[in-house]
Amino acid sequence: MTSDMIAERPLPEITELTEPFWTAAKARRLEVQRCDDCGTYRFPPEYGCAACSSTAYTWTEVSGRAELYTWTAVHPPLLPYFAERAPWPLAVVQLEEGPRLTTNLTGVDLDEYEIGMALQADFEDLDDEITLVVFRRG
Amino acid sequence: MTGFARDKTAIVGIGTTEYVKNIGRSELETSLEAIHQALDDAALTPAEVDALYKIETPGEDGNSELNVARNLGANNLRAWGGFGYGGGGACAPVVYAAMAVATGMASVAVAFRARNRGSGARPWSKTGARVRDTGAFEAPYGLVSPVQQLALVTRRYMHEYGATSEQFARVSVSQRSNASRNPRAFFRDPITVEDVLSSRMIADPLHLLDCSLETDGACAVVVTSADRARDLKQTPAYIAGASQGMGPRHYMMNGLLYKDDPFDMPSLYAARDVYAAAGMGPEDVDVALFYDVFSPMVLWQLEAYGFCQPGEAGAFVEEGKIDWPDGEIPVNTHGGSLSEAYVHGFNHVLEGVRQIRGTSTCQVEDASVALVAAAAVVPSSALLLRRQA
Repeated sequence: MTSDMIAERPLPEITELTEPFWTAAKARRLEVQRCDDCGTYRFPPEYGCAACSSTAYTWTEVSGRAELYTWTAVHPPLLPYFAERAPWPLAVVQLEEGPRLTTNLTGVDLDEYEIGMALQADFEDLDDEITLVVFRRG
Repeated sequence: MTGFARDKTAIVGIGTTEYVKNIGRSELETSLEAIHQALDDAALTPAEVDALYKIETPGEDGNSELNVARNLGANNLRAWGGFGYGGGGACAPVVYAAMAVATGMASVAVAFRARNRGSGARPWSKTGARVRDTGAFEAPYGLVSPVQQLALVTRRYMHEYGATSEQFARVSVSQRSNASRNPRAFFRDPITVEDVLSSRMIADPLHLLDCSLETDGACAVVVTSADRARDLKQTPAYIAGASQGMGPRHYMMNGLLYKDDPFDMPSLYAARDVYAAAGMGPEDVDVALFYDVFSPMVLWQLEAYGFCQPGEAGAFVEEGKIDWPDGEIPVNTHGGSLSEAYVHGFNHVLEGVRQIRGTSTCQVEDASVALVAAAAVVPSSALLLRRQA
């Protein structure tokens, strides 16, 4: 079942909507959208606000302070890049501004994962174009 | 929400192929086989079919309404459509079949689902080098598949409510016990909680035996008016209530984690409206067919459909309250997706009809109301079937 799968780590396709996020990450800033009308922070990126229906928003830098909301460790069968590194931990973190992000933690062993643990955004350069937002202990 | 045409339509025929790992026929062929069988069951003919509704999934091989109509000889289609959102669409084709018949737009509607999932590749294995939409913020981190998404939600549920892996395992054990009596079931050998917990870990805390089967197969049902149903061959399963439900700011399975409250699930909205449509509550339901792609999802539906309070389903399951025949509310008497077959939950609709007819291999005594619910965590749908209108 591995024969047809991509060998490398999948990368984001950057679109007109999401480009500011990736540009900010490259510059080692975490930015999410904030509604111009009701002030709600949101992630993932959208054109309109689910809270007030406004389509006006501004990409806004956030503190990067977060806590671990949930996590798993995934086992094969997996895409080859992750299978070679399994069990592969996945994390969802909640920013202090509210939104949640899927991410990976750095510098935390699997047996140290604890829901609620304090985290801080960090940045991992994958190539010249893509920098991932990851989290370390806060 | 009182606008649904309560009891104006009924399911009068059911049909299914066998459920196997590799069926060796296209999804068009298995769709036709299930539909012919459902029409025979109802004593209706293909020429009478004037509406077709299906669950659709990207990558199917040729079982569009267009192709099915032509090969079936249904030459006067007046209404048709396909419904996505995976297991959340399990009841949706029947909901729309009932709507088409109730409004008079059609007279004999077929709802069906075919999927060669056992022999085909897993959708996540086709992840490309570049991923878009919300996947752009997930796949680079390694999150690509439903079981991984559900594991994240399950871990949070355990944290908030104290649910345990043993409680999830009890769902698989209960349903396997039901499947042991069902000759259609793919897995029939009884299992224990220990078997589930010692099966290999797929995405912590979900083990292999917490996960549904992957099978090939097709199912179909025939819906017609209540008036006509009374003159047909089978005991009608009247459609007392039908609903779809989504709720605020939803995505697919991953989306729960981005919502303000991940347990504000689509099934809460489908439950509210299906009960209102039928004028019923959980106390009226004799048997529940819950979408069970992963065992924790059964707990969430027990809560959403009002059989217990939020966070209490783990203990409810542990106390044997979903077990057939003596539990408070027997669940998935056919074995469900965990043991009978994975047909995106459409096999649960057929089991609901069997319970109303009194022909299940785990028949609930005097069952007069069956609840069928689609996936809790994606845009969902539900049906309430009853014996007498």
